[in-house]
Order: sequence, then structure tokens, then C-alpha cells
Amino acid sequence: MPSLTYRLRRANLNRIESILALALIFGVIASMTDVLIGDRGLNTVYMGTVVDIFLRGMYLSLYITTASFALGLGIGFLVGWIRTTRTVPFKRLLRDFRLTSADASSHASSQYLLFGLSIVWTGLKYVVRRIMDGYVEIMRGTPLFVQIFFVWSIFIVFLTRMPERDLLAVLLAMTINTGGYQGEIFRGGLQTVHSGQVEAARALGLSRWRAMRYVVLPQTLRLITPPLTNEYIGLLKASALAFYFGVQELTYYAKQEAFSGHVFEAFILTSALYLIVTFTLAKVITMIERRYRIPGLGIQQAPAAGKLSRKETAASG
Amino acid sequence: MIRVEDIHKHFGALHVLRGITLDIARGEVVVVVGPSGSGKSTLLRCVNLLVEPDEGRVFIDGVHVNTPDIRPEWVRQQVGMVFQSFNLFTHLTAVQNVTLGLIRVKGTDKDAAEKRGKELLARVGLAAKADAYPAELSGGQQQRVAIARALAMDPKAMLFDEPTSALDPEYIREVLDVMTALAREGMTMIVVSHEMGFARGVASRIVFLDEGKVLEEGPPEEVFAHPKNERTRAFFSKILR
Amino acid sequence: MEAPDVVSVAKGHPRYLTRRTGIRYLEMAVGAILFLILLQLALGYDVLDGGFWSRFAGTYARGFIGTLTYTAVVIPVSAVIGFFGGWARVTRHRVLSWPVAVFVDFFRGIPPLVLVIFAYLFGPDFLPQQLYSRGMALTIAALAIAFHSAAYQVEIFRAGFQSIPRGQMEAAEALGMSRWQTMRHVILPQTFRLSLPPLGNEFATVIKDTSLIGIVGASEMVALGQEFNQQVLISGTGPLVWIFAVWTIIALTYFAITFLVTRLLLGLEHRYHTPGLEAISL
Repeated sequence: MPSLTYRLRRANLNRIESILALALIFGVIASMTDVLIGDRGLNTVYMGTVVDIFLRGMYLSLYITTASFALGLGIGFLVGWIRTTRTVPFKRLLRDFRLTSADASSHASSQYLLFGLSIVWTGLKYVVRRIMDGYVEIMRGTPLFVQIFFVWSIFIVFLTRMPERDLLAVLLAMTINTGGYQGEIFRGGLQTVHSGQVEAARALGLSRWRAMRYVVLPQTLRLITPPLTNEYIGLLKASALAFYFGVQELTYYAKQEAFSGHVFEAFILTSALYLIVTFTLAKVITMIERRYRIPGLGIQQAPAAGKLSRKETAASG
Repeated sequence: MIRVEDIHKHFGALHVLRGITLDIARGEVVVVVGPSGSGKSTLLRCVNLLVEPDEGRVFIDGVHVNTPDIRPEWVRQQVGMVFQSFNLFTHLTAVQNVTLGLIRVKGTDKDAAEKRGKELLARVGLAAKADAYPAELSGGQQQRVAIARALAMDPKAMLFDEPTSALDPEYIREVLDVMTALAREGMTMIVVSHEMGFARGVASRIVFLDEGKVLEEGPPEEVFAHPKNERTRAFFSKILR
Repeated sequence: MEAPDVVSVAKGHPRYLTRRTGIRYLEMAVGAILFLILLQLALGYDVLDGGFWSRFAGTYARGFIGTLTYTAVVIPVSAVIGFFGGWARVTRHRVLSWPVAVFVDFFRGIPPLVLVIFAYLFGPDFLPQQLYSRGMALTIAALAIAFHSAAYQVEIFRAGFQSIPRGQMEAAEALGMSRWQTMRHVILPQTFRLSLPPLGNEFATVIKDTSLIGIVGASEMVALGQEFNQQVLISGTGPLVWIFAVWTIIALTYFAITFLVTRLLLGLEHRYHTPGLEAISL
């Protein structure tokens, strides 16, 4: 079998396929646009005039996303931390107690007191952890829409006359929501690092807090940067819901302009803006990931819709 | 019975096989050795057409097989292959691995296939593990199942691509024993391996490959004791004690 | 939710519910009830109020059925598209993989809500005049959700395909199997098993996303719930705190549905579990 022509044929095939693929893509897009715009044509003048409103809307979208994300960061860390601290199992406490009480030289009453305290402390930690687990489960198991409604109705009923009531309600709901998801991300990150590292650090003489600060945290932060940025992108997309409650972010204006008759123009502007932002952010993730990646260490999660984040657009794509 | 004639293969800019001609008679056990990157695995894959040569012809039993007229699947039924990384189908049990080819390619009915499968597993010493999944087997056991799987197709010849290179030392022996038994039964085998003990004991011929060319070939005693080529000498001095 | 402890993978029907998981569910149920009680005390409502239910039951039932219907439509559609799309993404035929890549990037980069709104607005334009109806527009909006999820599922299945070791295909071909046979008996079964875990999560998300269709007027729980609440707020059909009850019930319903679906998939996962085939929760 002649080699040269075979290779040329394969290369040509690829080139042909590429052209076909591109033709297919553009063909579909072109025919769809044709159906939608038809003879009316695209009102680019209108688009020009309305762009800055849309940009203003995007600005607000980014604002509320960033605000709730930032607050969620703190919550997420707390939740993740609480869920990964180790609790001594009840049986062991009991056993330790029995062992120490066998040694008759110690004072009985202080023994019982200590034991009682440790039981209470363990019990408390246990309850708090279960609450945190529940919090995360609720956030993941119910739609954000419902969550916002719930918080918003509380505001409507009890805080009717608060200024910026709607905006604050949405912000609060989004913060609580992202806090839950981030809690899961932090938990994953902390867990991946936790085990041997803390031991090694303590063995070196570092206190619990210093071990956390100098060993665990740096690694955790590097590990969770990809899922966190994915969470941010997901939150940005979820922020579109805010329009329903009167918050004048991008989707609000999109709907407004769409219903005033310029449906397709509004759609193009809106999608373009969202796509630009999400793409840029995704590229940023890839860059950050590449720079701060710890070789050989990765979080347990799937590229798309893993257990950790609401929806991840994989950096790899 | 197997002949490769002036085989050339390029991977991109890399000229991996540079005109290899080899004749393997029925019942021969040919062991191919050479430094990594010399093209041994590629050569093997040209025989059962997992890789298509850019130039040259491959003959099996006198039939020119690397033409568009012949279905590669037919070729692969004539020549079985055992891989370095075993490549057992992880979602199937051992016996299912062995019978898959029988049922789906040869069209054997399920019960006959299962019977044959268990026979073959017994032949490689794994009758007890018929219903185990690959993940539950040791490396040596997995490789033996892989051999049974290839044998199930009743091939005229068997290709082995570094069958023991991925095994822990304690498992190498059991696989080599199976291969030795096969050789004694008269199976035509082409083996790429670094196991010189096996080569010395079982091979009818050693082929030394370097940079895509056959530099030397001959019976093991000759090639090991009196390598004619400088590079062959260098290679063997590194791996023979 | 951590994965349940696998007791043993006995032949046929592996037991995957252990005593510990049983206890965990009990704890969750107790915790949920406690939380609900606290919440109700704090805000001053009661989900068990008979008077409330006499008014809400009808609306709720309609909404529930609506949500279920949309779920039943969207999940299969998205799964089919996602699966074949994922397959297309891994072929070397660019005619298949490039368009799918564009599809994925587009539908993942835009908020599902935006997709729903615009699908509703100009979706019907793609249909011949006769089929024009509000019901059709809503169906298209639902399809928008399906496509959005499908984009994610393409990535899930793609990862599934790609995490199958290369050697599997080689080995199958070495046995003389054709491309198609290899796909059917070796690659696809493993992809299916590998993709199940992240898929459950994605299905849960889709179920929650059906609430977005309510914005364009579908009769599902959230939209009808809000309608009911507007009545309460404006016409005073009941005390204001009924609003909280409505949202609590709806939230619980969603929770129950997503819980069931994820459990179902976990069950599937264990039914087809093969030791050594690690899921792509990589």
C-alpha cells in the first residue's frame, strides 16, 4: 500500500471534514437566523442604542454575583471546616473513660465532670455537623428560585418597607445558596488535604491552628480554585433569576427589550454578553489552574456536574 | 506461515519501521528484542493489522492480507494477541472475557462457548476463577486470562507484546510457564520480551530490532553468545548478566 | 450526601443499604422535622393547618403534576442528546465532534432562564404555522431546559468514554471484533457504568430547573405557588403566613423528588457495579 498517498488521503480527509463541519455549523446558524429575522432584517441601529443599558444590566449581574459569592466564601469555609474536623466516636470516649477510671488514684468527681463535658462537646459537634450537612443538602436539593421566593416573602411580610428590599432579599438568598455549595467544595478540598498533612505538621511541632494556616489552607485553596471559579460562573448564570424580583440586571433588560418587540436583537445582545463573560472566566480558570496546580493532587469531582458544584463548566471543555 | 515484507511505518515525522522483512515458519517461536523505541510493538501490531503498514506486504499462510480486499477482522481471528497491560474487559468476568470473542465474533452458541471458556481457563490454571472480575485477580492471573481469551479464537499464531513487563516479579513465572507450554504444543509465536531466560529456553530464533531495522537474527545460542553486530553486543551486555 | 457504604458486592443484588445508612436517613428525617418545627415557630405558620390545605390542595396537586410532567419529558430528552453528543465528541470525525462542541459551549455559557425566555418567544417561529400554540411554546421552553442539561451531559458522557483505558478497544479489535461490535459490547457498557454517578447529580439539577419554565407561564409548582401567594397577598384569601407554608411545601416536594431520583440512580449504579471500574468522580 503506497504510503505517501495514504497519508495524504488521511490529511485531506481531515481537512475535508473540518470544512464540512464548519459548513454545517454555519449553515445551521444561518438558516436559523434567517427563519427568525427573515425579511425584517437585523435592527443594528437599535442594538447600538440599547447596548449600554444591557451593559449596565451586566454590571449589576456581576455585582450581585460577586457580593453573594464573596459572602458565601466565608460561609463555605466555615461549613467545610466544621464538616471535616474529626469527632471522637462515642465508643472511644467511653472506652477511654473506663480505662482512666480503672486507675484508682485519680479523683472520681473531676473524672466524671471531664467525661460529661467531653460527651457534651462531642454531642454538640455532632449536632452542628449534622446541621451543616442538612444545610448543604437543602441548598442542593431545592431550586434557587424557591429559595429566593422563600427569603423574599419573609422580607415582604416582615420587612415590607425596607429600602432596596427586593435586592437585599435576592442577595441574601443567593448568599445562603452559594454558601451551601461552597461548603461542599471546601469540604472536598479540606478532606483531600487533611489526613496525613496535619499529622506531619503536628509532628514537626506546629500547633493545630498553625498547621491549618501554613499547611492545609494553602493547599486547599489551590485545590479548590477550579471548582470555586466554576461555582462563580454558575452563580452568575443563576443570578438571571433576580430579574423576576425587580432587580435590574441583564436578564431584566433582556426581557424588557424583548417584549418591546426586538426579540432577536435582545437575544443576540444578551447571549453575547453572557457568553463573553463566561468564556473569559473559563479561560481565567484554565490559566489559574495551570499556574497554581499541585501536580498529582486533585479533588474528587467530575468535569461536569460533580458532587461539589452546582454546575461546572469544565475548564477543559 | 507469517511473512512481513519490507514493512515501513511512519508516525508523523517518526520513521518507526524502516523496511523489515521477516519470515516465520509454522511452529516457530520468535522472540523479538531491542531497545525501547525500536519499533517492536509496532511490528507486532502490523502482523494483525492493528496498525496498517505504510509500505510493504503482510502475508498470512501465503495470503496477502494488508489489502483493502481483506477484512482486518478476519486476520485477527487467525492471529491472537496478548498485551502488556492485559486489557481485560473490566465489566466482564474472566469466563465472560474468554467467551466474548467466541460468541460475538465466531457466533458460537452460549453454552458451547462457556464450556470451551472454562476448558481454556483450566488450561491456564484458572478454572476456579471463572466468575471473578479482572479487578479481583492478580496481575499474573489477569494475563493468563488474557492468554486464554486469545486462545479461545483458535488462532494459527499468537503475538505477545511484552506480556510480563507489567507484572510483579512473583507473577512472571506463572505466565511464562503458560507460554512455554503453548510453545511446546507447537503454537507459532512471536514474542516481544525482555525475558532472556524464556528466550534461551524456548525460542527457535531471536530477532534483534534497532531503530526500525532488523540488525541481527539467529538461534538464541548464537545471538547471545556471538553477536555479530556492535549494537547487538552493546544491548545484550546491558541486559544479560 | 456521602455514598452509602457498600457492604458487599454479592452476586446479583448487592446490598448497599447498611445499618449506618439507615440511621443516617433517620437522623436526617428527625433533623428535618425539628428544623421545620423551629422554622414554623419562628415565622408563625403551620404546614399542617387544615384550613390552609383546603385552599391550597388543588393548586398544589396541579403544580405537582405539572412539575412531574415536565421532568418526565426533559430528563429522557436531555439524556439521549447528551449520550449521543458525548459519543460524537470523542469520534475523530470532525463533522460530528465540532458541531457538538459548539452546541455545548453555547448552551452551557448562557443562563438556562435566558434560554427558556427566548425559546418561548421565538421557538415557535421554527415550526410551521399550524402547530403554533401556547402549549407548543411551553414545550419548546421545556426543550430549552433539556438542551441546556444535555450540554452538561455531553461532557459527562464524554468523560465517561475517555476514561475507558485505550487498551480495551485494542483488545477487542485484536479478537476480531468490528468497530460496531467493540462499541456495543465493550465500550458502551463501561461508559454507561462510569457515567452514572455524575449523571444523578445532573438529573437532580434538571428537576430543579423545571421551575424556570414557570416564568413563561407553565403550570408547575413554583408558578402556581406564586399565583396562590399573590391571591393571599392581594385578596387576603388567608393569613400572610400561608405564603411561608406554600414555599416550605414546594421546597420539600423538590427535595423529595431529587432525593428519589438520586437514590434511583445510586441503585442502578450498585446494580451494575463492577469492582475495579472506578467511576469518573475523578
